[in-house]
Amino acid sequence: MANRYLLEVQDIHTFIGQFHILQGVSLAVPEGSITAVLGRNGAGKTTTLKSILGLTPPRQGRVVFGGQEIQGQPAYEIAAMGVGYVPEHRAIFTGLSVAENLRIAERQRGDLERRADFIFGLFPDLKRLYRLPGGHLSGGQQQMLAIARALVPDNRLLLIDEPSEGLAPILIQQLIEAIRRLSEQVTVVLVEQNFRMASQLAEWYVIIDDGRSVCNGRMAELLRDEETVRRYLGATV
Amino acid sequence: MLRRYRAFTISIVLGLALIGLAYAWLGATKAASTLLSGLTLGALYFLLAAGLSLIFGLMDVLNFAHGTLFMIGAYMGYSAFGNPRLLLNTLPLFLMFLAGATVGTEAGRPVRAWGQAARRRLSTAASGNDARQTLKATLARLPFPYLFALLSIGVALWGLWGFPLNRLVAFEATATGGAIPTAEAQDPLPVMGARLAQMALAGLLLGLAVVREGTQRRAGTGAALAVVVALIGALTLVARDPLEGFLLALPVDLRFLLALIVGAATGALLGALIERTLIRPFYGNPITQIVLTLGLMFMGTELVRAVWGREGHPPMTVPSPFAQSCRSENLLAWLTQQCSSISVLGRAFPTYRLFIILFGLLILTGIGLLLRYSRLGMIIRAGVQDREMVEALGINVRRVFTWVFALGSALAGIGGVIAAPFVGVYPEMGSIFQLQAFIAVVIGGMGSYPGTAVGAFLLGLARALGDTIVTSGISLPWLEEALKASPAVARASTVLIMAIVLLVRPAGIFGRKE
Repeated sequence: MANRYLLEVQDIHTFIGQFHILQGVSLAVPEGSITAVLGRNGAGKTTTLKSILGLTPPRQGRVVFGGQEIQGQPAYEIAAMGVGYVPEHRAIFTGLSVAENLRIAERQRGDLERRADFIFGLFPDLKRLYRLPGGHLSGGQQQMLAIARALVPDNRLLLIDEPSEGLAPILIQQLIEAIRRLSEQVTVVLVEQNFRMASQLAEWYVIIDDGRSVCNGRMAELLRDEETVRRYLGATV
Repeated sequence: MLRRYRAFTISIVLGLALIGLAYAWLGATKAASTLLSGLTLGALYFLLAAGLSLIFGLMDVLNFAHGTLFMIGAYMGYSAFGNPRLLLNTLPLFLMFLAGATVGTEAGRPVRAWGQAARRRLSTAASGNDARQTLKATLARLPFPYLFALLSIGVALWGLWGFPLNRLVAFEATATGGAIPTAEAQDPLPVMGARLAQMALAGLLLGLAVVREGTQRRAGTGAALAVVVALIGALTLVARDPLEGFLLALPVDLRFLLALIVGAATGALLGALIERTLIRPFYGNPITQIVLTLGLMFMGTELVRAVWGREGHPPMTVPSPFAQSCRSENLLAWLTQQCSSISVLGRAFPTYRLFIILFGLLILTGIGLLLRYSRLGMIIRAGVQDREMVEALGINVRRVFTWVFALGSALAGIGGVIAAPFVGVYPEMGSIFQLQAFIAVVIGGMGSYPGTAVGAFLLGLARALGDTIVTSGISLPWLEEALKASPAVARASTVLIMAIVLLVRPAGIFGRKE
């Protein structure tokens, strides 16, 4: 039963400075699917992702990835186990070229060459922009680069934070398509404010409210539960 | 795009303005040698500022001990050049310590596992009277890593007690040419043997203290490495007298090369050590870092005074291509004559200073290529922008920090050795050059590599111009005598150019607006 989940987060508590940001977040991510982490602004969604990766290590609770407890390990070791991170605000390296932005994510020499077809199949634009500095890219292109970067090494899990933020609707459609296609190869945890986008993509959901995970289940069920959606997300189905 | 071109334009305008001023005030001949002096100083400032800038850019650490590493590098290189005895007696101690530490970290895991098992037995053993129970419980709770570390320091101090450092560095005890007149300057071999054993034990204890779970080498490679290192150390010690004769009999150029290597290695080792022990616990805590590195600066300077003496030493012998006492008419003639000076528009200019300029430019290019094309360089450039994201990609940023600290410190150490034939060595050279290097980093824009290079050379030009104004004065058409400035102007010149640059661009020439 436990092996069904690639990632399990059990009742983690995370502090940032003196603030008790996460006060008991649990979630379980089945392998080979997209799980959406939903909730209002400031609910603790980003901190949840950072706590999984070890960037803000949880003070309590367990994080189990691939059957191994990983909480408390340094972020670079957790990442090297096969966790890719696509942070919010498209944190690409603006001073590095597109090629370097991808190359730096290599864990072994030749990773980029091996994955090139897949990556440029998803994001053909990047091939054209290959030599340009990352800072010259548009917002949508930077977002694609940030996702592509996380696909360079053989990651088993992708943590994607607010990919649609600040993007034009047409770009969001492209992004949805790309994430759907990449999710055939890698398990995805998706933090998303845009409920419409999240509901189109994710098979599973977990809602975080005020630092606690309050409910979870299949996205299809959530879509029938207007009350919960209105209460925690302030959105309509 | 625009920002970048603007930065280059400002640099060029400032450089031309300084050269123009020099030409207008001094005439072509003096201006040319002033320009070259400026480039010489600029190259030295750059060697120091490059490390400061890399370390600040990546780690946000203002390393006030950077100049001290420059100074210690200079002293170590100077000693390696003129009196290798210091090196030959201390290197074995260091190597033994290293060998011990290697064995310690290797043996640490089984030892720790055994210790934890023993600890569990002790804390669960329920038999015996109360006193024994308390003793066992206390034993089980002792913080062994800290005890090992303390013991290690104790043993190391014991091993170094009475080590005749200041007799070893005495240059009078050694005559150049290979003779070793005063054997009593060194501890006799049996005493040194005991010291070696103590250092090995100290290293072993430290290795046991710092061992961590996680990535480890394959079993056995560490032990093999330790044996080799220990053997090299022991052999160096046993053969110290013939080795000393051999080193002193080497041609000057090889000894100069040795000095450069020793300076760089000293800088790198001390830099890495400082980062691992003192800086690492205090990342993100700038006040503590500044107080710590300032403290290191004072300690290092006093330590050098205590060991090498308060007085400095005269400039080191220059390598042979710059040593013939004659003046070459041009560079081509110099190639065959190898004169110590060269004619620049009719005025003599020391050729060794041209070498300093060349060396500075070589390092400038080398580090530039490293940053641009190597993986380490890519990680540094990325880390300057967003350390957290680099770590999230699976890169051990902390290890990169140590490497960059070592690299920057190695540049400082090698800079000290390069400076030694020009300015000599003295305990205050560290703080004097460091101040200028800091100004160079500020002018260029904190943490920007091209900015640091531009800043260092602009500063060198300004300083050389200031020096010339003080020593030979400005000849103005409406004045009979040259107008000489007071000596303070030379020192003020660098601050003046900083003020001008910061008025125009508060973040420095290549700085980003915060």
